[in-house]
Amino acid sequence: MNPHLLTILIFLPLAAAMLMMLVPSTKKTVYKYIALITGLLQLLLSGAMYWLFHPKGSGITEERLYQFVDHVPWIRLDMGSLGLLEIDYYVGVDGLSMPFLFLTAFVMVIAIGASWDIQKRVKGYFILLMVLDMAVMGVFSALDFFLFYVFYELMLLPLYFLIGIWGGARREYAAIKFFLYTLFGSVFMLLVIVGLYFSVTNPDTGAHTFNMLYMMNPANYAPDSIFSAFTQRELFGISARLLGFIVLFVAFAIKVPVVPLHTWLPDAHVEAPTPISIILAGILLKIGGYGILRVCFSIFPDAALQSAWWLGLIGVVSIIYGALVALGQRDLKRMIAYSSVSHMGFVMLGIASFTVEGTAGAVFQLISHGFLSAALFFLVGMLYDRVHDRDIYHFRGLASLMPRFTVFVAITFFASLGLPGFSAFIGEAFVIIGAFNAEGLHGLLPRWMAIGGSIGILLSAVYFLWTLQRMFFGQLRVKGGNAWVAALSDASPRETFVMVPMLALTLALGVCPALALDNINASVLALVELVTGVDH
Amino acid sequence: MPNLTLTYPLLAALSAVLLPFAGFLLSIALGKKARHGTVAIVAISLSLLAAGYAFAQVWGHDPIHVRWHWFTIGQHAFHVGLLLDNAAVLMLLLVCLIALPVHAYSFAYMKGDPGIHRYWAYLSLFCFAMLGLVVADNLLLMYIFWELVGFASYLLIGFWYTRDAAAHANKKAFIINRVGDIGFLVGIAMVYSSVGTLDVQALFGPQGVFAAPAGADIPAANGKGTVTAGWLTVAGFAFFLGAMAKSAQFPFHVWLPDAMEGPTSVSSLIHAATMVAAGVFLLARVFPLFNEAMLLVIATTGTITAFVAAYFALTQYDIKKILAFSTISQLGFMMSGIGIGMYHIALFHLVTHAFFKCLLFLAAGAIIHEMQHMKEKHGLAIDPQDIRNMGGLRKRMPITFATMLIASLALVGFPLTAGYLSKDALLVHAFEWAALQRGPVSAIPYVLAIVSILTSFYIFRLLAKVFFARPAAILANKGVSAHEAPRQMLVPMVFLAFCSLFPLFTFNPLNDGQVWLLQGIAAELPTLPPLRLLHLLVPILATITTIIVAVVVWRWYIRGHYPLNTTGALYRLSERQGYVNELYGAAIVRPLLKLSALLWWTDRHVVDGIINGIAAAGRALAGITTWIDRHIVDGAVRLVGKLAWGAGNVLRRSQTGRVQQYLALVFFIILLILLYLIFAQA
Repeated sequence: MNPHLLTILIFLPLAAAMLMMLVPSTKKTVYKYIALITGLLQLLLSGAMYWLFHPKGSGITEERLYQFVDHVPWIRLDMGSLGLLEIDYYVGVDGLSMPFLFLTAFVMVIAIGASWDIQKRVKGYFILLMVLDMAVMGVFSALDFFLFYVFYELMLLPLYFLIGIWGGARREYAAIKFFLYTLFGSVFMLLVIVGLYFSVTNPDTGAHTFNMLYMMNPANYAPDSIFSAFTQRELFGISARLLGFIVLFVAFAIKVPVVPLHTWLPDAHVEAPTPISIILAGILLKIGGYGILRVCFSIFPDAALQSAWWLGLIGVVSIIYGALVALGQRDLKRMIAYSSVSHMGFVMLGIASFTVEGTAGAVFQLISHGFLSAALFFLVGMLYDRVHDRDIYHFRGLASLMPRFTVFVAITFFASLGLPGFSAFIGEAFVIIGAFNAEGLHGLLPRWMAIGGSIGILLSAVYFLWTLQRMFFGQLRVKGGNAWVAALSDASPRETFVMVPMLALTLALGVCPALALDNINASVLALVELVTGVDH
Repeated sequence: MPNLTLTYPLLAALSAVLLPFAGFLLSIALGKKARHGTVAIVAISLSLLAAGYAFAQVWGHDPIHVRWHWFTIGQHAFHVGLLLDNAAVLMLLLVCLIALPVHAYSFAYMKGDPGIHRYWAYLSLFCFAMLGLVVADNLLLMYIFWELVGFASYLLIGFWYTRDAAAHANKKAFIINRVGDIGFLVGIAMVYSSVGTLDVQALFGPQGVFAAPAGADIPAANGKGTVTAGWLTVAGFAFFLGAMAKSAQFPFHVWLPDAMEGPTSVSSLIHAATMVAAGVFLLARVFPLFNEAMLLVIATTGTITAFVAAYFALTQYDIKKILAFSTISQLGFMMSGIGIGMYHIALFHLVTHAFFKCLLFLAAGAIIHEMQHMKEKHGLAIDPQDIRNMGGLRKRMPITFATMLIASLALVGFPLTAGYLSKDALLVHAFEWAALQRGPVSAIPYVLAIVSILTSFYIFRLLAKVFFARPAAILANKGVSAHEAPRQMLVPMVFLAFCSLFPLFTFNPLNDGQVWLLQGIAAELPTLPPLRLLHLLVPILATITTIIVAVVVWRWYIRGHYPLNTTGALYRLSERQGYVNELYGAAIVRPLLKLSALLWWTDRHVVDGIINGIAAAGRALAGITTWIDRHIVDGAVRLVGKLAWGAGNVLRRSQTGRVQQYLALVFFIILLILLYLIFAQA
């Protein structure tokens, strides 16, 4: 029996959004409770799915190894000479997507918790939040490329408004920058999708298809088609498959983000309200990494292998560049945004290694960063809520004033800088180990990249600890004087209630990495085998 | 093969590790109710008992190894486990044996501190991390505890976080340790990628991968290529980098003097006896990995460190700074011991040093405590750690004096002390080793001998200034007098003083050949050709020079015949600690910040500049399109409109409503058609 759990998980927020539309906008407090209940239900559901998930379900290229699959025809259109248009509602879960569904549900609850005091246009805010929730869940589970693209684009819209309306002073600039950046990526992605559509046929029906799993099998490509692996057609002087890979990669790399496609991120973060920052860092960046693995690597494994060196280089540059720029920031939120760039660089380095350790480490890092960046932005939000200032140099000796808050910050900082016992350590250590392994295994990455990445671990200690020293230690001195001292109350019970589960999760993952790795392993093995052709 | 079941010694070792952790959790849970520290003290006492049992069961027997599956990445399983061999149980016992007196001492020393509940929790966390490090059975687990040790030390150094210096020092300590951690991590990655396992026993045990003579090509586990000599050098260097930072070897030693910002009891436990020794322990663990070239590097680094730190110690005035440099110098000795291939002697010196250096710090703490007390009581404007403000304390604090004297004699390696045994063993073997070396490295034992003389000098200078010299004017004038430390502090000190003497280690105070500790660890090591004469000569010469130095110090500092010029370049170089900190500031910190600012500028102006440029270009293009739209496209449309309008306007005139006019028009048109037809026919 198929209880359609995945479909329920995806569309639950949509139902909530519809319910919200029916509630008159005078009842401001109702929305957040609807949102919270939806979020908790989703958390429960995704938790149950995580528990039910069979760790042998590697997925990747084989439909029978996906779980919670819903596969029904959606659009069928006879296009005459162009054949039958085949678009399916096709969703399923494997070890790559399962952790992210749980992560999304979790971060959503945190974000709703952080939205508790939103006063401006509450109705619209929560409806957009729910739509965003649905779109993200959809992206992580879609296996039909058309469906994937629909969800992918659907994500942009609520985010644009959420930043543009509820954001800070330069919110419109940030919103448009964010929108254009991502749109730039996705427009070209559409071209590749169409190209793929015309190249791939469904072996059963002979019709062109958007089914991603068919796209992963070279046998399904028509021999003379543009993306055929056999004929190696060329476009603008380079291999069409490589070009397709690059275009898709750029689209997702903007999301990750990698240097130099990253400048939307600090602006978006700085201007976005706290809950949106949490979602942005906690979930949306993960879509970049997930997309590269699910789409770019799986569909264009040959081109991916060819580009490994460049991917690794991008990773290392992001790690070091992000960390160095973070070091120079005065704005705490911007510093954390740049630290995100640096930490996501580890993901790039890990997946570029094409080793099991590196790839698993990268997926682990994605999950870990999801929790930790959400926690970091939540903490900045706590400070900003109180005094509407985030300048590092405007605070000093906060430890004496806000001891509990300081404990949270210290734990989160140390977890982020890769202290063993917390999740980031496992992710980063195995990325480094994997990157190091690459040269001996297949020679794709030189060893200096692994060492370059490890310098990022050092730099993250530098900027986090320096911030800790500047803001929290020493004698108490804040810019706003007594008014600030009065406003800077310690973490409230609600805030504590939000922070504790996040830290508990990163601790749990750090102490028992098997919690995540057991479900990831099979898929990572299958993916690495697909790309490198080496059976582990 | 590792066990899967727990035997009693394993259970004892495991509980020795976990009890302080339970203490940590309980202290955190109790919060401010845990001020008295009972939880921490009980935890470490039980730990000591368990460690003692484990030691008694394992020492001198075959190693015991137990491990459990931890997690699998891909298809590669990682484990957590305990490896109890002689070195592990020795360290286990040592750490507990040092930690318990320090806990007991802290009870009185930290009394009344507003944050004391945190102190106990941090101390327990530290003990957990350190104990975990010594029994960890694989390199990954060692790395984890290695980092936790660093973290706990960060918390303890910054315990008085409202002091800027403390907040600066703990950051510095952690970051410099991180540099070493990178080395350690890279070393792990190298071993893992070449051999495929991180298990200490499988790698470095008697039948391990690296058991073959160092430098030879050893087949790697993954069957692709071999572990070459070059690989060994790099991997060895990576691990050594880790040890250098943790054990404060030159030029990474700078964090340790700063770390003295923590409470003195903390300095005593972690920055003298345990944490800093972790680097030496790591090197002893991975010892088979080192080839000849790396061993020379280690020996040289150790010797340089020993010398430089002793040189810096000569002129310091802060009592804790002197002891900090002394620690660095002694760690250099241990490193040299490893470098000459005698890691058992290095471990022996680690053990003896742990006792007497811990005691030196505790005694210094007792003095500082008293100075602080006087300062507060009489409102004096003095630095309680400055030895110039002390003096004449021998009579006021006789027990402190006696214990500190014993510890100092152990430090200089005076006969009948434990330090004599380990230091002379080290020196003698260094000479034996050097006899087989060529080139500049054969100078190493001579440098170490000079360092011994410097050591005698700085520690006697300290004793003279603190205990013998005339009391400082500021104290004498006010008639202020010091008192002996409370009993809770003295008992641990007396205990450690006993441990600093020879009976703990051998029945024969003059011959290191009969030390049980060396016999227990040395079994598997190759021996150097002994030079009998050295065994006689070195101790005698060392003792004589020590006495000479004592006499010199007596004349200089107590009799007041001080001959040196304190403005000389060498003196200043020593006092300012070789300007190493300034060098780091100029060569690394400031350039790094500049680079950071430059990249931030790049981000805003170049990357964003391009983005904004594209946006501006887009807007400009839109502007042009708009213009074309308005003037050309719209112009054309308007032209058509105007034409139609104009035509209409002209034709409008014809609509007069007069029938005659219409008829005339019709006639005129027909005429035109006719004319056309006629001419067309033609």
